[in-house]
Amino acid sequence: MGFSLRSIVYLLPQVWRVLRAGPLTVQFPFAPPELQEGYRGQVVVDAARCRGCSLCVRDCPAFALELEREGREEYRLIYHPDRCAYCGQCELSCQFGAIRLSNTFTRATADRDTLTRVLVDRRPSPPPLDE
Amino acid sequence: MTKIIVPIGPQHPLLKEPVSFQLTVEGEHVTESAMRLGYVHRGIERLCQERTYVQNIHLLERICGICSHVHTTTFCQGVEALLGVKLPSRALYLRALLCELERIHSHLLWLGVLALNIGFDTIFMYAWHDREVVLDIMEDLSGGRVSHAVNIVGGVRFDLTDDRRVTLLRQLNGLEEQVRILLGVVEHEQTLQARTRNVGRLSLEQIRRYCVVGPVARASGLDVDLRRDMPRPPYDGLTFQVPVRQEGDVWARTLVRMLETVESVHLCRQMLDLLPPGPVSTRVSRRVPAGEVVSRTEAPRGEVVYYIRSDGSDKPARVKVRTPTLTNLITLPSQLENVNMADVSVVLSGVDLCIACADR
Amino acid sequence: MLFKLLIFPGFLFLLLCAFVFDWVDRRMLARFQGRVGPPWYQPVADFIKLPTKEDTLPQGVNATVAAALPMLALAAVLTASVYVPVAGVVSASFEGDLIVVLFLLSLPALTYFLAGWISVGVYSILGGHRSLLQYFSYEVPFLMAVAGPAVLSGSWSIASIVAYQAQTTWGAVMQPLGFVLAVVGLIGKLKRDPLDIPKAKSEVVSGSLTEFSGRKLALWRLSMNMQTVVGIFLLVNLFFGESRFFDVLPAFPVFGLKALSILLLLATASAIYARLRIDQLADLGWRILAPLALLQILANVGIGG
Repeated sequence: MGFSLRSIVYLLPQVWRVLRAGPLTVQFPFAPPELQEGYRGQVVVDAARCRGCSLCVRDCPAFALELEREGREEYRLIYHPDRCAYCGQCELSCQFGAIRLSNTFTRATADRDTLTRVLVDRRPSPPPLDE
Repeated sequence: MTKIIVPIGPQHPLLKEPVSFQLTVEGEHVTESAMRLGYVHRGIERLCQERTYVQNIHLLERICGICSHVHTTTFCQGVEALLGVKLPSRALYLRALLCELERIHSHLLWLGVLALNIGFDTIFMYAWHDREVVLDIMEDLSGGRVSHAVNIVGGVRFDLTDDRRVTLLRQLNGLEEQVRILLGVVEHEQTLQARTRNVGRLSLEQIRRYCVVGPVARASGLDVDLRRDMPRPPYDGLTFQVPVRQEGDVWARTLVRMLETVESVHLCRQMLDLLPPGPVSTRVSRRVPAGEVVSRTEAPRGEVVYYIRSDGSDKPARVKVRTPTLTNLITLPSQLENVNMADVSVVLSGVDLCIACADR
Repeated sequence: MLFKLLIFPGFLFLLLCAFVFDWVDRRMLARFQGRVGPPWYQPVADFIKLPTKEDTLPQGVNATVAAALPMLALAAVLTASVYVPVAGVVSASFEGDLIVVLFLLSLPALTYFLAGWISVGVYSILGGHRSLLQYFSYEVPFLMAVAGPAVLSGSWSIASIVAYQAQTTWGAVMQPLGFVLAVVGLIGKLKRDPLDIPKAKSEVVSGSLTEFSGRKLALWRLSMNMQTVVGIFLLVNLFFGESRFFDVLPAFPVFGLKALSILLLLATASAIYARLRIDQLADLGWRILAPLALLQILANVGIGG
């Protein structure tokens, strides 16, 4: 095994280089995250384009989308972010360009109820409350 | 000397993977070891039979948190063979591009883990910073850092503009510079060599007997690489070296992986240069004709084998996954015989375990 | 006298130094690795946090001994600090105090070993064994390297070694080899990277201290940090004593600068090396360091003789 002075302090020049370049830490919770353009984040829907074909529901691998149908044109598209795997399959399956993944990024929530979101509401008029 | 039993895992600072080892230690000497698996068995193979091919891509992507793209590539490759569809060559190039980026990411991550386990935090930080460059590239291309979700049966979901290709080439040049520095560290740094040389040695004969694959096999002198031995496009049109070492110890594995990383950067560059124009996907039917197929790909850790049987519906009748970790894992008891307690961490990291892959 | 003992250069100053050195060390290491590092109050926050946590011990451990050991380690380090001058100010001094300091500084290693010995956890037992093996590897070269300046100046008193350097020049200049050996020995003594073998995270989790928590762990960590400070101060006195070159500057900042330079050396060493294996450390200690230290002492006898 060769034993030279350079190999004893081999990392020293690299350390010097890194020291001069400065730290690379991203101060995430205190600074906004650096998200790329195509980052797959929050699911958003253009409700006007949705036809209620349920292709997205069929293909969703995580069963995060749910379609409650009350009639031919009356339905609700419900989204469960807690199940969502952010794979973007719904975006791919949608034939009308209605559903897509934006690159916004939300942190965790402590309230479970906020995790169910109605994306499209096409019921003729919301039913009266039971109570 | 009294014998004590040292448990390592399923939770231990050494291994971030849920696997358990019971080491019988005399002083600093490990005399026996027993392994226990199955902490992350998720029944993915069974779940595959419940879901459609489209859904299965996303399910199989979650077998592994590091080589996720390779799993979907292998699966899609098999399904496409069953469908008898020919992919546009741009799709093949983009798929392989991401495979190679993933190999760089996996090997750099592994180097960081090894460095951390031998108390070399600086290399851990450097390797993971360089890995961050790859992750950023992949995130930009696919929208996800680890789960890319770019493969679909019949092609890929992302495309590359010419501008992006140029910036990507520039990023790759910077990356190669960084990787070469790490390669130099592996080749020359004394303490790293002191810890990894002559540790966890596997002979060529053992490698053959255990059917070891991937960098571990190549570090013991077995010259296998599916990308070269079973070339499918685009690899048949690219030139690259398959690094092979004869030593068979952890140091040789480290070196092989780092050399492979450099080769992968070259491959990425070649693919970007040769990227053919055209569409990135073709439309395919959701139902897959009955039949069975075996699909193989060279993952960062070695050969991944998928067996897919279709009964003509839109759900597979059987999906069987053989991950490289499964074969490499079996060598551990023999590697852990008669080693120093301090070498256990080196041996365990040297194999590059992915227990999630092995358990599925 | 009481002021010297309690405030400067005594316990309070030492406590402050322990926090400052811990922070500077972590910050330097972070910068070497391309990180930002913790804010200045982090060591204090860590120290305050630990006593508020639940103090648990595994069954079968003698609680009195477990509570006494970290205190003993801290007491030994604090007693040693009494005899170590800071910028020429010293609480107590007598002919032969160097030997007392060296003895007191090796006590924490013994308590660390005992902490593993009394424990029932496998990692603690392994860590305790390792710390003793390590002690035998680094202590002899360290003692020989530290004895070098004493041989050179013909006195076992730290104050006269400092005074001797004022007449001639820095010990590190006259015996560079001895200085390097002393730094290596200090790294082993402080169980710092790359010689943190007894508490190697990936091998024995946290060594002897695996089962300690709460107040006891806080005391352990404080004693380690103070040991770092006292060890560095000792090396500054022995190898970078007062010299004619710096007479123009006030003594205290110069002393601090020297101490931080040694800390920089330690941080660099932990950045650029991987952890050694215990047998490799024994090899290094007995085959390389000890003969070199002997050589240095012989040379010193020749020079000072």
